[in-house]
Amino acid sequence: MGRAAHSSSSSIDSSSHPDLLLPVPAGSSSSSSLSQKINGNYGNSHINTRTDLSTDLRLGLSISPSSHSDLSSTSTPGEEALINWPPIKSILRSRLAGKADHPSLFVKVYMEGIPIGRKLNLFAHDGYAALITTLSLMFKATILSGPEENHVHSDKYHVLTYEDQEGDWMLVGDVPWEIFLTTVKRLKITRADRC
Amino acid sequence: MLKMANSFPEEVLEHVFSFIQSDSDRNSISMVCKSWYEIERWCRRRIFIGNCYAVSPRMMIRRFPDIRSIELKGKPHFADFNLVPEGWGGYVHPWIAAMADAYPWLEEIKLKRMVVTDETLELIAKSFKNFKLLVLSSCEGFSTDGLAAIAANCRNLRELDLHESDVEDLSGHWLSHFPDTYTSLVSLNIACLGSEFSFSSLERLVGRCPNLKSLRLNRAVPLDRLANLLHRAPQLVELGTGAYSAELRPDLFSNLAGSLSGCKELESLSGFWDVVPAYLPAIYSICPGLTSLNLSYATIPSPDLIKLVSQCPNLQRLWVLDYIEDVGLDALAVSCKDLRELRVFPSDPFVVEPNVLLTEQGLISVSEGCPKLQSVLYFCRQMSNDALITIARNQPNFTCFRLCIIEPRTPDYLTLEPLDVGFGAIVEHCKDLRRLSVSGLLTDRAFEYIGTHGKKLEMLSLAFAGDSDLGLHHVLSGCENLRKLEIRDCPFGDKALLANAAKLETMRSLWMSSCSVSYGACKLLGQKLPRLNVEVIDERGHPESRPESCPVEKLYIYRSVAGPRFDMPGFVWTMDEDSAVRVT
Repeated sequence: MGRAAHSSSSSIDSSSHPDLLLPVPAGSSSSSSLSQKINGNYGNSHINTRTDLSTDLRLGLSISPSSHSDLSSTSTPGEEALINWPPIKSILRSRLAGKADHPSLFVKVYMEGIPIGRKLNLFAHDGYAALITTLSLMFKATILSGPEENHVHSDKYHVLTYEDQEGDWMLVGDVPWEIFLTTVKRLKITRADRC
Repeated sequence: MLKMANSFPEEVLEHVFSFIQSDSDRNSISMVCKSWYEIERWCRRRIFIGNCYAVSPRMMIRRFPDIRSIELKGKPHFADFNLVPEGWGGYVHPWIAAMADAYPWLEEIKLKRMVVTDETLELIAKSFKNFKLLVLSSCEGFSTDGLAAIAANCRNLRELDLHESDVEDLSGHWLSHFPDTYTSLVSLNIACLGSEFSFSSLERLVGRCPNLKSLRLNRAVPLDRLANLLHRAPQLVELGTGAYSAELRPDLFSNLAGSLSGCKELESLSGFWDVVPAYLPAIYSICPGLTSLNLSYATIPSPDLIKLVSQCPNLQRLWVLDYIEDVGLDALAVSCKDLRELRVFPSDPFVVEPNVLLTEQGLISVSEGCPKLQSVLYFCRQMSNDALITIARNQPNFTCFRLCIIEPRTPDYLTLEPLDVGFGAIVEHCKDLRRLSVSGLLTDRAFEYIGTHGKKLEMLSLAFAGDSDLGLHHVLSGCENLRKLEIRDCPFGDKALLANAAKLETMRSLWMSSCSVSYGACKLLGQKLPRLNVEVIDERGHPESRPESCPVEKLYIYRSVAGPRFDMPGFVWTMDEDSAVRVT
């Protein structure tokens, strides 16, 4: 105990560790300014974040850390602070959210030729355009939006299909967005020339 | 000692070793001398690997040629809370493929937080001739088709446990793949599945397996089917009900109560989805025998919970939603003197205003009334230093103390001080504490207490706490037995990490997300400590595209004798010796 107390109170300047070179400015200055940023953001914006979050979660939404907004922006830890908090396993979380009797809108997306799917939050999108933008970034593919472009048959382009509650595969965009949300089970990105 | 050991024939030593089950004891044996190492490795039948990337399947097989039981873990623990991006890794297939060749007599596979495909399950089903036990805990990537392969082929299967796994539920038909001649089932947990299945095939399966001890059903099994199932399996020790709701019908109630009272061995109950509290008295007759009650999916009002726990004098473990309220925990403290473990989950964690009256008072009552309490997970909205000090004094035998005050950085609600002194009292009084999660407003002082007193601490979870590198330094330099440290949203950075880099080689893993560790420091750690895998996880793109001083999103460091892994997705970078010079 005495030993630990002693080492705790000693300096943690890493110059006492000959094995390690400390990158000079990174430690002190950036960490203190960052912590201020977290605290500052927290004080101003957490009420809004919290309200949005609670609404979403009551709607049955499991928020994924790979949230699509941060594909484009470099978010600071402060802005994301309350995502995935409090620490509750998703099975219990969805159970709690399920009390409102909403289906979960956390669906899996697969792309032809890629064995591993990804999960996607449909509630984070306000319509087909936003969904296609996210998926294009996520899978680095050119996804055609809307049935009107169906005539393009090329291996460079992809189309987005979904499985509905009956187990049928449909082209995304065939029904209004709100109805789509109630029927979609999972998504698949397929090469346009295979359709 | 050495002389005596040498005088024994190998067979004798091998027989002696066979009585030694614990992993750490086996490890100690293998370090005594070369001949013990050799004897031990040939007769090792069980192995636990806490991180699937810490060693390769090839290395395991080379050292232990005849393993019968393996337990393997994949993703970091924070994956439970959605902090690990989808697609991170933890694929079990390379392990199964290697074992399929090397261990034809493998009997048991337990996996946690791993990606398991249907192809993998099919490989298991056809490779191991005497396969008996499959536990997939918080796993994902497979469907009911893979389960059908297991059911159809593993004739000696005793246990199938899908504990909290994310299974793609194609159909309930897989259950009927158990052959009619199959009778060896002892334990079945399908609580995580969503779809309905053929109840007649479930009933037939339950009816023809005389050794079935544990049956945990899913929400799709209606209450009016439960009585019929129980009539066929009065020997059950553990039961997870399906949906525990129905319109109130006296015949259904009496039928259910009758079949439950016929299960004299029942010790453990769970399930209770969509519970209608009026049906709860049906379980009263078996309450005296219950040691474990998991009500974490059950919305039961406090008065009904009080009636229930008051009839369970032998309860050792209770998981419950915060609907139990302080008054229910008072009742628990009066009735359940044998309680060892309590978990109280929030029923509505995403709103600021409390929806129930659950405070620090409930935890104080239980710590006073239940002398055997060892393990607590408690979600609440207010806490005070005085309460934590009282709890620590009441209950010095805690081994696990996880407190989550829902609003981050909440101070002592009475004094508005940080909760440093309170958590300090917990680590000071509870000398055997192995696992700790802290929350609320905490300064570096709290971590000074933890580093000073938490000498047996093995796992520590931190969120929204501390003020500077000093906090992390106290933990890393003080907690001698720390194996797993997970941190999110704390202002800890390069200095503490670099100053205690050697400590990381003694730990299984360190997770840091939304902290202040720079990319430059990660590179440095990777170069200086080749026995560590230093993985930067950043979904914003390659960290080289930002200044080196820029903090990384997520950092996962673990020791490995296998070197960097080869299955990293595009958002994970490993910091090895070359990473400084590699052109991207």
